[in-house]
Amino acid sequence: MAKLFIPEATAGIKVPVVPRGGRVVRSKWAHHLLTFLMVSGPGLIVMEADNDAGAVSTYVQAGAQYGTHLLWLLLFLLPCTYFIQEMVVRLGIATGKGHAAMIYRRFGRWWGLFSLLDLQLVNFLTLVTEFAAVDLATRQLAVPPQLGVFLAAAGLMAIVLTGSYRRWERVVVALCLLDAAWIAIALLLRPPVSEIVHNTLIPTMPAGGLTPNLVFLVIAIVGTTIAPWQLFFQQSCIADKRLRSSDVKWAQVDTLLGACFTIVVAGCMMIAGNYALAHGIPFRDPAQMAHEMAHLTGPWIRAGILILMINAAILGSTAISLSSSWAYGEVKGWPHSLQLKVKQAPGFYGIYVLCVAATAAIVLIPRAPLQLIILSVQVLAGIILPPAIIFLQLLLNDKELLGEKYANKRWNNVVNWMMIIILFALSLVLAAQVVAPNLFPGGRQGGI
Amino acid sequence: MATIRALTNAEELKEREQNFFVVVHPLDDEPEQKVDTEKLGPMRMTLSVRLSLLGLRAYLVVMMGLVVYHFLGLAGLFAGRGR
Repeated sequence: MAKLFIPEATAGIKVPVVPRGGRVVRSKWAHHLLTFLMVSGPGLIVMEADNDAGAVSTYVQAGAQYGTHLLWLLLFLLPCTYFIQEMVVRLGIATGKGHAAMIYRRFGRWWGLFSLLDLQLVNFLTLVTEFAAVDLATRQLAVPPQLGVFLAAAGLMAIVLTGSYRRWERVVVALCLLDAAWIAIALLLRPPVSEIVHNTLIPTMPAGGLTPNLVFLVIAIVGTTIAPWQLFFQQSCIADKRLRSSDVKWAQVDTLLGACFTIVVAGCMMIAGNYALAHGIPFRDPAQMAHEMAHLTGPWIRAGILILMINAAILGSTAISLSSSWAYGEVKGWPHSLQLKVKQAPGFYGIYVLCVAATAAIVLIPRAPLQLIILSVQVLAGIILPPAIIFLQLLLNDKELLGEKYANKRWNNVVNWMMIIILFALSLVLAAQVVAPNLFPGGRQGGI
Repeated sequence: MATIRALTNAEELKEREQNFFVVVHPLDDEPEQKVDTEKLGPMRMTLSVRLSLLGLRAYLVVMMGLVVYHFLGLAGLFAGRGR
């Protein structure tokens, strides 16, 4: 017999849950593996979707300008990104509510709306960059950009509008795993292994020293690796998937593996940029890089990079648009679940469709400065991140809300405050650079 | 004799239970009780929380202004300005 319940996300709409009795396994090992497979998804998706089109552009640019010199930064960002998202896991499982809802309820209406508008602004600009990448890649694939952008937008709507969280998750996880092809591409480019190992483990200053360009790029990398929408997305995703308290450790493993996979893929993108640098291949964007490299690498790598660029844009778009839709639904009190049909949650799906359609249309406007927007958005996200993490930090220390079990421990706070200080310092360096452009020797190099 | 047989069955059942695990997908499981945030209301605004939020407000306003200025510069809006 079907049971009825009313979870938060469905806002009063009764969704029947037919208990299927679960799956019976004999060994403890199989039990752990199957539980992990059932719980995993939000962690991998939130991490890999962060390797979106803007990230591809930023990492490839970092490789093309500084070779493998900035690989250590990715290794440094691995624990940072994990610790931040791990807090989101605990908050999401303990409350069963999204991040926007928590800010709204615990910090009041003003901060709730402020966070929501902040998120929407950065998300909207980021979505423009995703479709810009689709436009650039499809042009290089000799597909009319109007058709490419339309198909991408239609695909993005199709995977969400099915009324099934599981269906959406399966498709998106498959797209995430497709990114493993970056590893194959990096290996085919015959990377300088000893140099990569050295520059990953030992931070080195690139030739030219500390220039504004380097500072800007470092902030862009931080901004793209740890993005504000990730906090909102993963918490809402966990709430929608209805993860239980017994799932915490598996959700943490999911997040950790997702972070490791994402950082490895990001490193491979830098290696691709490094190949362009080593062979003196100039480019404005990754799509052009793939095209220019073709006479050395062959058509398969060219096609691979272009397809992966589109994949990155699709992944980023679905996650970012959903973070906007979930946040809106939570703050407005609308039904907001992927388990609901379109008729049951028109506002939630409407926001998603609006985000996708509007940004896809903007990209088709001729002569928009797309590459400038792509890198600038990462910097904007980097600046908005410290306040977002402070909200997270305050919520995770809210023992009235989380109790001793889920609240931050002392070591969590020490690590988080160190990260917040570093992120604020990077933001202040950017501010200093803007106010006094000649502060750093060497002046600004290269274009964005 | 019957008592001994019953005991053996109970032991067998217990052993079987220990050898089987049931894994339920979160979406198929009954929803668990979460923290009731409605009852809690807003967070207590201690001095440190209040100062943190005030600092954040100032930080965001200044940084957003600087970023807009920077991006306009990168877009070449101030290209004609004297060097």
